[in-house]
Amino acid sequence: MEQFPALLRATDSQPIHYLVVDDSIFARKNLARIIDSYGGVLAGEAGDGCTAITEYDRTRADIVLMDITMPQMEGIEAAERIVRQHPDARVIMVSSVGYQENIVAALQKGARHFVQKPVKPELLYEVIKYVLGDAAVVASSAAGE
Amino acid sequence: MGIFSDDRANELRSLFFDSSQEILQALNEDALLMEKSPRDPEIIRNIRRSVHTLKGDSAACGYKELSELAHAVEDVLTPEIAGRDGEALAELVLVSADAFDNLLSAFRNELQPPSTAPIYRLIEAIRNPHPQAAFAPGFLWTEYEQLVISRSAVRGQNVYNIALAIDPACPMRAAAVQLVRNVLQEFGSILVMRPEENATEIPDIIEVALASHHQLDWVERKSRIPTVVSKVCVLLAQQLPFVDPDSPLDLPPSPPAAVPPAPPAPSAEVPAGLSQREQDKARAAQAIRQVFERPRTRDERLPAATENVIRVEAERVDVVLDLVGELIIARSMMQDLLNEMNRALGNAPLRARSADALVFQSQILNKLQRAVMKIRMVPVEQMFRRLPRVARDTAKLLGREVNIVIEGENTDLDKSILDALAEPMMHLLRNAVDHGIEAPLDRAAAGKSPEGTIRLNAYHQGNQVVIEMSDDGKGIDLPRLISAAVASGTLTAEQAARISDGDALDLIFQAGLSTSTEITEISGRGVGMDVVKAVMDRLKGTVTVRSIPGEGTTFRLKVPLTLAIIKALLFRVSERLYAVPLGSVMEILRTRESEVHFVDGQEVLQIRDEIVPLIRLARLHPGGERKSKLFIIVVSLGERKVGLVVDRLIGEQELVIKALDETLVTTELVSGASILGDGRVVLILSVSDVVEKLGRGFGTDPRSAGAHA
Repeated sequence: MEQFPALLRATDSQPIHYLVVDDSIFARKNLARIIDSYGGVLAGEAGDGCTAITEYDRTRADIVLMDITMPQMEGIEAAERIVRQHPDARVIMVSSVGYQENIVAALQKGARHFVQKPVKPELLYEVIKYVLGDAAVVASSAAGE
Repeated sequence: MGIFSDDRANELRSLFFDSSQEILQALNEDALLMEKSPRDPEIIRNIRRSVHTLKGDSAACGYKELSELAHAVEDVLTPEIAGRDGEALAELVLVSADAFDNLLSAFRNELQPPSTAPIYRLIEAIRNPHPQAAFAPGFLWTEYEQLVISRSAVRGQNVYNIALAIDPACPMRAAAVQLVRNVLQEFGSILVMRPEENATEIPDIIEVALASHHQLDWVERKSRIPTVVSKVCVLLAQQLPFVDPDSPLDLPPSPPAAVPPAPPAPSAEVPAGLSQREQDKARAAQAIRQVFERPRTRDERLPAATENVIRVEAERVDVVLDLVGELIIARSMMQDLLNEMNRALGNAPLRARSADALVFQSQILNKLQRAVMKIRMVPVEQMFRRLPRVARDTAKLLGREVNIVIEGENTDLDKSILDALAEPMMHLLRNAVDHGIEAPLDRAAAGKSPEGTIRLNAYHQGNQVVIEMSDDGKGIDLPRLISAAVASGTLTAEQAARISDGDALDLIFQAGLSTSTEITEISGRGVGMDVVKAVMDRLKGTVTVRSIPGEGTTFRLKVPLTLAIIKALLFRVSERLYAVPLGSVMEILRTRESEVHFVDGQEVLQIRDEIVPLIRLARLHPGGERKSKLFIIVVSLGERKVGLVVDRLIGEQELVIKALDETLVTTELVSGASILGDGRVVLILSVSDVVEKLGRGFGTDPRSAGAHA
């Protein structure tokens, strides 16, 4: 898989921590691979919204990749609850095209960005870089090509 | 659609689709005429009127893209621009007509409307021949938005005009817009954004006016949102020329500082606006042609969504209405005949049966007439619904708090009349917010609630429709109005000293008078009160004003239900037949020449405890002899009463108004004509003109006043 210049936290030069929320194990594995190619750390995983909230409380991940449709608690509500408790949380919605209204709702509730499935690694990379903004620096070709 | 039920909204929409086709047709025809003679002001006026109607109607239906585009097009349809570049304007009209057509079919079929951005670019190129002042994307904010923008600029914030092209690869455009909104809100306050929140139709380019403390390049960088925004153009907007639709050429060419030194590399497709105008225009026109490639034949267009609506040309309805008019004339022929039979046959049973038949026929005729008129009727809500927004914008701008209360919105009115009323109403409303309602603190100090209330009401009154707008503001400052009138030469000091309150209030309808001490942004623009009056005169209606200092002002617009048939009082002056609309008649009385008195050189008559000035219509026919017995028709003009002196009364009758050829009318006092059952012609007098022209300045010598009639 293509490697990207690693993204590091601006504060402590540690890798970016990710929380991946999706009810499909396949989707989670796929995202984990992509995160790895960004030089990131998979800090936690969740298969439903409720777990996502507890996992965020535990990990305080820098980036949350959140699926929209999930059992028990939908992604929108999970995103809303996380952002309400932690206004600095960076939640990126990951969704199929058909769920535009849900995306809009999630954005209104405080999600920072959205990408569509199937996730294109190069696009997600740009999105994450943008969402992190000044909170991240690009490691100088340390990740190796 | 808010306060309107779905059925109602659907009805309005299908109505709109039907009527807009006619407008488009007219637009296309006029545009072709304009290509031949690009500087003919009459053609431009016609086009402007069509576009204006389209703007209003589409706004009422909530088709924002269409109404905004029409608004933008309307703005550049000025004689000045036509004089400068009539050919380009004609081209714009044609291209816009196509764009309107495409937007309409998209709306009708509930499809995503095509982008209008290229047209805005074309408009901008036409509007702004100074290359350095021409900005790339439209940024055609409405006048209120422009005011909001300039206010923020005054407060020392950086105001940016931002155009963001939605990434063509992003299929979730609504989400894209929401994200852009989120991002921009994070580092500034959004003054205006197109599309607006929750818009269902998303254009290709998002346009925003943003107030922010950040620097331009920072804003530009942050606006490049990956996967969502493909192109960014950020311009400093402080110096965005304040575009006044009335004087588009008045703006000074922006000083060099106005334009940021080379806007940071806007992509080639979004022209920086710094290139030559001709190129811009050509490119925009080409882009427009691509975007708005229209179906070749009209027949290919998809059929109307609603099958139970029949589209008919207005002319066909008018023909039916005309025929009904003829029937009414025929009925009065029958009535005449019956009267004769009365005299000849006495109480013959045949006569009674004829009378019954006639009554029966009359009833059906009335129903028929009403049914045909109803075809042209639309509820007043079509106009009212636009007003709260106008009030809100104006109030926001001026720091007022205004609550709009709407009543009687289901009152029906002839569509052409309603259309003509829209502009005057908006003007009155802005005036009410601007000059009527006080600032919240002042209101509190006066013991009123900080929020002002403006009531809109519509109701039928006989064959007329009354539309009222009342505010609970500070009222009209009469002394200041009078002194302004004296200062402008409208009144002599002598007249000013004697003027009654009612007459003084009417001064606000005189051209060029204003009581406001400061020229505010709101009042300095648009139609004046004199135009309101002119529109009402054209509609054979009246506008009156009542004002109580400290308590508020009420404007009362009275218009006929329809322009086609009126109830009128017929009378004779010097053997000629005249009529006045019955709605304006208060009472009729007989008197003798000896009862007429002169006060200040004005003939007056005492009616109970009132002194009513008289106007001798016999002046219309110089040389007519005076009779000792007089008939007086007391007509009301708002608060004023005037007695018209006539020779003989004929009676009341429904008159079918026939259009008058302008060359036939030698006097401005006549608003129409009609034909009676026996073929005689009746001239319908315009009461307000008669009072204005024959009775002007009740203190002046009647002979000199009569001279301009």
